[in-house]
Amino acid sequence: MSRIAFTIGAASVLALGLTGSANAQLVTHKDLSLATAVTIARTAVQTCKAQGYNVSAHVLGRSGEIIVSMRGDDTGPHTLENSFKKAWTARAQRAPSVNFANAVKANPTVGAIHLSNMVPAQGALPINVGDDTIGAIGVSGAPGGDKDEACAKSGIDKVAADLK
Amino acid sequence: MLKPAYRIAGVSALACGLGLATAAAQLLTHKDLSLAVATDIAVAAVDACKAQGYNVSVHVLGREGQVVVALRNPAAGFATYENSMKKAFTARTTRAPSGRFAEAVKGNPNAGQFFLTNFVAAQGALPIQVGNDVIGAIGISGAPGGDKDEACAKAALDKYAGELK
Repeated sequence: MSRIAFTIGAASVLALGLTGSANAQLVTHKDLSLATAVTIARTAVQTCKAQGYNVSAHVLGRSGEIIVSMRGDDTGPHTLENSFKKAWTARAQRAPSVNFANAVKANPTVGAIHLSNMVPAQGALPINVGDDTIGAIGVSGAPGGDKDEACAKSGIDKVAADLK
Repeated sequence: MLKPAYRIAGVSALACGLGLATAAAQLLTHKDLSLAVATDIAVAAVDACKAQGYNVSVHVLGREGQVVVALRNPAAGFATYENSMKKAFTARTTRAPSGRFAEAVKGNPNAGQFFLTNFVAAQGALPIQVGNDVIGAIGISGAPGGDKDEACAKAALDKYAGELK
């Protein structure tokens, strides 16, 4: 009995330490505006189109929510979903989705492959403000994930000055 | 025995008459939204509402109700994203402003279509047409009133009317 009481007491002290600080503060975030997200997505689609590739694109926000979704002309019907999943992967891991593709190559049963929306495919990049990942862009439809990624990069480069 | 055989023959004749088996069968020719035009329309609608002080989310759907462009406005309520899609779906499939379906449901709260997926009885979406052919729809949500949502949709369609032919 006394052992159980001690355990509960220790748990209470821990809970106080985690949630009961007198100096609790709100979190301050920078987040994508719709205008910036549209520019990123549109630039990526146009960059690929200029190279002869029709692509779909997704720009996701901080929580993986869709801010912009674009279905490319004459693209395969899977490209919309794939661009979303690539972007989700990049946002979740705060890294280009190609990193996850490489991780899965090295270890096909890596834990994250079993989560929803993760896809081991190149073509998405995180959108960062400094070291803070505020979203991601995913592209699908070009003949090769490296080409998708290059178009994604052009979208981010276009608004680089606004990402601060 | 004779009677069912006669019926089958009758059905076959009907099928021929409908053109299912004609020698001169042709493919359908469609005009459809390009991503560029769909994006122009969607962005123009957001801008039109913003100029009036309203932050809105927008969906532009294509001929089969598929999403061509979806814009979530982080400055609008999060339900607006889903609502703009459902309004657009309603306008596309009824080939009419979604406000008309809203009126129909007012008159008959058990209107059959009200129970179908993605139908919503709310103003704020318009079909996108090339002549009489409905090739898609635009739906808007976020302004304080479906009439204001619809006005932004109309402003965007009017702006790009020259492309819709």
